[in-house]
Amino acid sequence: MAVGLLLIAGGTAAGVFGSLLGLGGGILIVPLLTLGFGLPLREAVGVSLVSVIATSGASAGVYLERHVANLRLGMTLELFTALGALVGALVAFLIPDRALAALFAGLLVYVAVSMIRSGLRRGAPDEGLAADAPVPEPASDDPPGTLERLSGPGYRVRNLGPAVGGSLFAGVVSALLGVGGGIIKVPVMHLVMGVPLRVATATSNLMIGVTASASAIIYLLRGEIDPLVAGPTVLGVFVGATVGSRSAHRVDVRVLRLLFVVVVLYTAWQMIGRALR
Amino acid sequence: MTDRPEGAARTVVASLELERRVAGVLIGATYLSVALIGFGVVLMIAGGISPLDQALAFDPGRLIADVLAGRPEGVLWLGLVAVIVTPSLRVAASLVGYLAEGERPMVLVSVGILGVIAASVLLAIGLGG
Repeated sequence: MAVGLLLIAGGTAAGVFGSLLGLGGGILIVPLLTLGFGLPLREAVGVSLVSVIATSGASAGVYLERHVANLRLGMTLELFTALGALVGALVAFLIPDRALAALFAGLLVYVAVSMIRSGLRRGAPDEGLAADAPVPEPASDDPPGTLERLSGPGYRVRNLGPAVGGSLFAGVVSALLGVGGGIIKVPVMHLVMGVPLRVATATSNLMIGVTASASAIIYLLRGEIDPLVAGPTVLGVFVGATVGSRSAHRVDVRVLRLLFVVVVLYTAWQMIGRALR
Repeated sequence: MTDRPEGAARTVVASLELERRVAGVLIGATYLSVALIGFGVVLMIAGGISPLDQALAFDPGRLIADVLAGRPEGVLWLGLVAVIVTPSLRVAASLVGYLAEGERPMVLVSVGILGVIAASVLLAIGLGG
């Protein structure tokens, strides 16, 4: 029973942390379950995928209700993230645990470096792009009908081809490592397609569900999800993410960001150790 | 095809309405799934079952019987499956909306997504899931 309560508490902490920093809980759940509770990496990825579906569901619904997320764009891209996730989940069963640990360590280092860089940018007097500003529009070869349909109020999307490639890659990463993949989808939509950052974040959130479910089904049917571990973890992460999103304005995110970078780098170090063992 | 500007305005209103309906499906199904998982966790803790114990394997044929018998694992499996199925419900709700609006490209996209998810199920079963 104590382990169940610890899983709920750990999941809650991952959910609070993740939502305060605008990340899905996935990046923290996998290390929590593998390093903290000794779960095999693939099982941790399966549990993490279910957790990110649950946490993204409620928030994506709210984004849609408020018309912040772009449903047409999200669905068009998630066709490709889901395809990538299907491939990624099949590949995950072919590569050894140590290779997965090494990949996860690489992702953690990338996230830590991104956090540090975005923290430095925020501190600078001239902060690059405002959250709602569309990226300036260069020439594009895409047919206008499709792009018109996928665009939203105040912005016109472009470069669908490269975005499809980015979406496939995001799906593979999500399925291999049990994360939502926002770290790839948001820059692809914002920088490549010219979608305002706020819309890109909300649309990425909407896409997490379908992306993660395409691979979670494979983990479930191949027996890699333990309900006694997944239940408490999903519940904790969901509660944590809900609490985190409601208290975000009361927390000094700079301190949190610093703490997060330290935790992520330490976790990356542990994952590298696991990969080399 | 619709005539502008009335047609365009009608399309925008229909899109906003569709987004509202899809959001309702997503939020409702998510809370219901998490509530089921929460109930399963309560049963698990009340029954003194630890996450370290050997869990019953996922068996769709036994799921309803396990839930009706109040077995914690049955309720947990139902909640977890509901979480995984929720995004597909959202896509299905969108498909119905796009069919009603006669938006053929989005109908094809929706069918494509459901096709990929169906392929996941078939591949997992085919690979000895």
